[in-house]
Amino acid sequence: MDELDLLKKDWNQSSDNHKVSAKSIYAMLHKKSSSIVKTLFYISIAELVFWILINVLPTFFSKSYNEQLDLVYSNKTVLVLINVVSYAIILLFVYLLFKSQKAISVTDNAKKLMESILKTRKIIKYYVLYNLIVLFISIILGLYFGIKHSTEASNMLTNASTSEMLVFYGVCFVMALFFLLCFWLFYKLLYGLLLKRLNRNYRELKKLEV
Amino acid sequence: MNKELEHNFVELLEKHQNIVHKVCRLYTNNYDAHNDLFQEITIQLWKAYPKFRGDAKFSTWMYRVGLNTAITLYRKSKRTISTQDFEGVSFKISAEEYDDTQEQQLKVLYQAVHQLNDIEKALVFLYLEDKDYREISETLGISEVNARVKMNRIKTKLKTILNP
Repeated sequence: MDELDLLKKDWNQSSDNHKVSAKSIYAMLHKKSSSIVKTLFYISIAELVFWILINVLPTFFSKSYNEQLDLVYSNKTVLVLINVVSYAIILLFVYLLFKSQKAISVTDNAKKLMESILKTRKIIKYYVLYNLIVLFISIILGLYFGIKHSTEASNMLTNASTSEMLVFYGVCFVMALFFLLCFWLFYKLLYGLLLKRLNRNYRELKKLEV
Repeated sequence: MNKELEHNFVELLEKHQNIVHKVCRLYTNNYDAHNDLFQEITIQLWKAYPKFRGDAKFSTWMYRVGLNTAITLYRKSKRTISTQDFEGVSFKISAEEYDDTQEQQLKVLYQAVHQLNDIEKALVFLYLEDKDYREISETLGISEVNARVKMNRIKTKLKTILNP
């Protein structure tokens, strides 16, 4: 006799001792879910808000930041254009995120469900990547214009020896690297822990199709 | 959500709750973890219930939501001990004590099934529930042929665990 057939016989005979009453089921309906979709959704919202704040807060609260902006963008239309484009991109991400979040359905087959969750995760990944790139470019542009507009800094740099310049670039490089590493570790940890099981099971399902 | 919907749902779930218990039994290994997973599956079933059209059988629909919750959605609580954590250990002891009585064999079988990975467990679960390969493949999103091949591999795997 097949091992599983033996198990099947017992499986169908055994009734569970802990039967849950209708009253308990009613109570459960109002409990909070601890599904990863919900957690992912909250994290996505937090990330959206975080990056929007990073973009918006300096313009509201820092006078010197605004003065710098005025200085750099003597052409106002360029500034407006950049703002419009960046908000449009954020809105596009919000739209994509909600659309993919809505597409997650627990009644899909296992593989499709996993794929929809991973797709949502991918959108937020691209959003973060986009923001990191924009941040990186703004830092470089900021440095460039900052040095160009500050006579003190330009003088210092033109008078600096080669070794001093090397140190300057080295420090900039290490700082940028450290900054990126921190971000990378943070995301690795956050999503790695959260999606470890899902990724493992998805790989297992994919393996079956080879 | 209106009261009538809630009432219908609770009535149906109470009647078919054994399916959920079986999923919990396969994917957890202690009382608290069992109850946690039962609650999560109940919440997921309830959230999906308004879209349940009744053209599928309630029990069939439960298999899908139950397994999806166990394999994908459920974030294990701290109380859950992963079956993979003590892989091998529990089995070794049982294998030494193993004798020919059917009860012993069943015990070892259950332990062997517990050592399978999440996807393999899902296949075993549907097989034990007498689902055909078409339904197994539709529930997991793999082809019928692959479901069959994988099931045969699991059977061989179980055989080797039981007769080393």
